[in-house]
Amino acid sequence: MQQIVNGVFTGSIYALFAIGFTLVFGILHRLNLAHSAVFAAGAFIGIELAENAGMPIWLAIPSVLVAGGVLGLVIERLAFRPLGGRHDAHFAGLISSIAVGAMFLALLQARYGPDTRRFAPDTFPQHRYDVLGVSVSLLQLTVVAVSLVLMVGLSVLVARSRLGRAMRAVAENPHAARVLGINVDRVTAATFALSSALGAVAGVLFALSVNSAQLSMGFNIELKGLAVIIVGGMGSLKGAMVGGLALGLIEVFAVTQIGSSWRDVIAFGLLIAILLVRPQGLFGSRKVREV
Amino acid sequence: MFADSSTTFTLIALTGVFAYSFYAVLVAGQLSLGQAGFASLAAFASTQAVPDEPMFGVVPPLAVGIVVGMVTGAFAAFVLGLPVTRLRGVFLAIATLGFAEMIRIVLINQSWTGGAQGLSVPKLVGPPEAWIAVGVIGFWFLRQGGSKLGRALAAIREDELAAKAMGIDVTRYRLAAFVTAGAVAGLFGVLWVHFSRFADPNEFSFAFAVDGLVTTVVGGSTFFLGPLLGSGFFTAVPELQRAVGIEAGWLRPFIAGVLLLVVVLFLPDGFGGLVSKLGRLRRWGGPVLARGSLVPRSPMPDRTMDGTSPPPALPAPKLPPPGDEVVRMSGVSKDYGGVHAVRDVDLEIRGGEILGLIGPNGAGKTTLVNILTGMTEPSAGEVRVLGVRLGGSVPAHRVALAGVSRTFQHSKLFERLSVLDNVLVGTHRVAPSTLLRRMLFLPSARRTERQVLASALARLERVGLAERATTPAGDLAYGDQRRLEIARALAAQPSLLVLDEPAAGMNHVEAAELSELIRTLADDGITVLLIEHNVRMVLDTCTRVVVLDFGEVIASGEPDVVARDPHVVEAYLGTAAEGEAELAVETSAHEADGSGEQ
Repeated sequence: MQQIVNGVFTGSIYALFAIGFTLVFGILHRLNLAHSAVFAAGAFIGIELAENAGMPIWLAIPSVLVAGGVLGLVIERLAFRPLGGRHDAHFAGLISSIAVGAMFLALLQARYGPDTRRFAPDTFPQHRYDVLGVSVSLLQLTVVAVSLVLMVGLSVLVARSRLGRAMRAVAENPHAARVLGINVDRVTAATFALSSALGAVAGVLFALSVNSAQLSMGFNIELKGLAVIIVGGMGSLKGAMVGGLALGLIEVFAVTQIGSSWRDVIAFGLLIAILLVRPQGLFGSRKVREV
Repeated sequence: MFADSSTTFTLIALTGVFAYSFYAVLVAGQLSLGQAGFASLAAFASTQAVPDEPMFGVVPPLAVGIVVGMVTGAFAAFVLGLPVTRLRGVFLAIATLGFAEMIRIVLINQSWTGGAQGLSVPKLVGPPEAWIAVGVIGFWFLRQGGSKLGRALAAIREDELAAKAMGIDVTRYRLAAFVTAGAVAGLFGVLWVHFSRFADPNEFSFAFAVDGLVTTVVGGSTFFLGPLLGSGFFTAVPELQRAVGIEAGWLRPFIAGVLLLVVVLFLPDGFGGLVSKLGRLRRWGGPVLARGSLVPRSPMPDRTMDGTSPPPALPAPKLPPPGDEVVRMSGVSKDYGGVHAVRDVDLEIRGGEILGLIGPNGAGKTTLVNILTGMTEPSAGEVRVLGVRLGGSVPAHRVALAGVSRTFQHSKLFERLSVLDNVLVGTHRVAPSTLLRRMLFLPSARRTERQVLASALARLERVGLAERATTPAGDLAYGDQRRLEIARALAAQPSLLVLDEPAAGMNHVEAAELSELIRTLADDGITVLLIEHNVRMVLDTCTRVVVLDFGEVIASGEPDVVARDPHVVEAYLGTAAEGEAELAVETSAHEADGSGEQ
């Protein structure tokens, strides 16, 4: 039982990271590899706001959300919009987003140096609760709650709102959407902003939960994020959510059953198995795409 | 200082070797990130195999390691490739990435690899070894570019379905590219650890693979020097920054990021694209894209045109004698969900015929063609084409190899390849393989290349496109694209030529020329199946006409008999019109064909 709680806790951060990742892919058919840099940036900005600006954590998290949105706009502007309709845009976007991600990390390094940064010990209240013999910290509850609220909010936004309808139209066919009077550029920018906002919050929540932030913290989760969005189905929000939680649970159980050093073999073995059996993922619709 | 620059010099070569392992699959349009895993496996395998002393007194230890490493890499790629090469795009990338991560974790958990501490190995690689290796690999890809293999891979990259229609076994060629990548990555792994004197599973990580990919893309993945240019760039940037006094820290990675962004945004095909644009190097065989060519550097055929030394023609496959069965379909049906696209069709095509297939939009014509060419599996019924019994596991390329060539309703040209290269790909069925002979510069390879070239040019002349040979196919006018597709199909020297609406978008003068061309093809003994909306043209061109409506054959016979058939008139005009309603009306059928699934 304790394991399940821990799994859900880690998994909700994976899911929050992955849902932003998959949003861009689902709507714009682009893989944004700067997402991991946004994740790291979210963590550093959160620490900055809480420590240097003295902001309480409940205010810092929404601020990170906004900052992440701004980073998303920058990514779109620098790495994706200039590619336009180039025949290799799908591919070039991978590389240009890597470049922008590297630039972000370099800027973080300029501001904070290469060392690990931490929140002050009292940033977050250290309450623990015992529920049915399971120990849960307030931090864990908060992380799960924030992730769930954001993910559900995003899903509702995409499913219900005017912007969401426009996003789905662009996903289906950008040309037709343009003909119908949808401002495709603006929808694209909004998609990146939303995606990065969630990625940044995932970063600050992760930093809170392990109480450390490094420049390289995004790479590991990027790898897992890729696995999650494949398993869930590329572009499927529900898939990313379920996939993220599932990965968190699998990891926890893999550690207790087989040992921590083999943990990731299970995750990637599953990934390959799912790709082979069901390439569209658990919740994806089949979409074959050439690079 | 000297030691330092020699290290840089070696690094350029080694990074180049790694980049070539990405290039090997990118030329076939595959994105793989498993190379770090192959390299890692190969490196650790070689640490077990490299002897302390030369083997048998003569074979240097490094050579032993290289052989073991390349075999290991190739074998790992083969085992992984069997299941995963059918994945495409990012799915392939992520599956291979997952594999590489698994390799990394498994190796860390082995005691013989030294685990996370790594393993010390002797230093065996310096500048000469590294540069010889990169030279050999670069040479391989240079010579591969203009070979039959190189053309097939480029075709797969540009359009898989069209490649299949040309008889290219896409699965096999993709796997071949994948295994090549594995071998080259293996070579890199061995060289790398024996250069750094240290083998650590953690070094061959996700970030490592991404670096390799970035190097290759920036260098250019369509030009054989691309990987080396990319590696030169990425090795030189930090050196230059140091030279101009930029301090280590954040500024260096920042500038590197900016440069990478600039290159990606402003040089679409990387440095290689820039170089091949600059021109002269283009003729060195490797470059593949527009204006450049898959044309091997061989004597231009001008000499053959003035008649002094005509190259012997490629041996032509035998055509079925007139009247023999070419296609037999019986009881063929195809359902899509609840829609019966084709219902219980019996169709026979005999040698030397020009069979016209007409019918209103959505009548099932294209579906029937797709069944006949092995691209769609029928829901029921039997199909035999040129002795091949279709159904189940018969892939489309087998049908093409048996002698069926087709064009597509919506042109499927290799748009970024030149007009001539498109037709050269078309020769796949009849052209002998030249790869190994090209590696050795054997004169016979050059002879073969001249034959293939002459054959392709002859097809271009036949459709009147010889003047445009070097134009990128995507730049041709619409009507010219349709004719190029025919030339490409003809280059396979088919027994049965299937033309899916070749006159769509042509004016009546062009259509008349096309009609003339089709008749001359039939005179050469090629059997033709012509699907057209231009009914006048079909009636004028064909020896027999079959009319399809709602997936069923409603009429069949001589053109003028069919044209007067009341069922046909009804199908086209929608009412049981008066008998004299002449069918020659160019039906309203030129609008987009609803059944155009391909």
